[in-house]
Amino acid sequence: MPTRRILIIDDEDDIREVAALSLESVAGWQVSTASSGAEGMRLAAAELPDAILMDVMMPAMDGPTTFREMQKLPELASIPVILLTAKVQGVDQRRFAGLGVTAVLFKPFDPLTLAEQMSEALGWS
Amino acid sequence: MPPAKDPEATRKLLASLWERSLPVLRERCALLERAATAAQAGTLTPELRAEATAIAHKLSGSLGMFGYPEGTDLARRIEEHLEAPTPTDAPRLTHDVTALLATLPL
Repeated sequence: MPTRRILIIDDEDDIREVAALSLESVAGWQVSTASSGAEGMRLAAAELPDAILMDVMMPAMDGPTTFREMQKLPELASIPVILLTAKVQGVDQRRFAGLGVTAVLFKPFDPLTLAEQMSEALGWS
Repeated sequence: MPPAKDPEATRKLLASLWERSLPVLRERCALLERAATAAQAGTLTPELRAEATAIAHKLSGSLGMFGYPEGTDLARRIEEHLEAPTPTDAPRLTHDVTALLATLPL
């Protein structure tokens, strides 16, 4: 099976680091990270990852806005995006799911099972 | 997905990341304490409330992944107290911030 390449976009250093550690050490995936939506879009265009794991609440350009901007670009529109959120209320979950992302996962995630959750959501299992 | 590598090695790496995040975590908890004290005194400004709400939200998303699910629950409640304050929220805020600090090995 080819190594998966994942782009993590999150403004929180500790979330980025733990998610990257989790996906690299548990699943053996290659991980790139970006700390903002704008940086994430640049990296996504340069690397064309197999999937993007992106935070919802970020300053300047939040996850949903970044996702919508990606959908406007043909080279990025087909990359599956998983949103990561600490919002647990049903209304927020429905709003995020309605954006057309591949999945919505919730913080705090379990670092030992994050890759498994992503694999299931992406149909990679 | 390739087979999972040694979970114990991953846990050790997580523990080192936790150690590295402690200075920022201490600053964030201190800010929550300031917000709770100000709320009790009736002097919580909108700016401090907004900052503390954002901090509580961040903590609710991160503490559980380091193995502190109770910290996540408390941070979530603190965020709720700050987002939609009622007259009874100031003492609850103080109570939950105190409980959060007691939960974490800072």
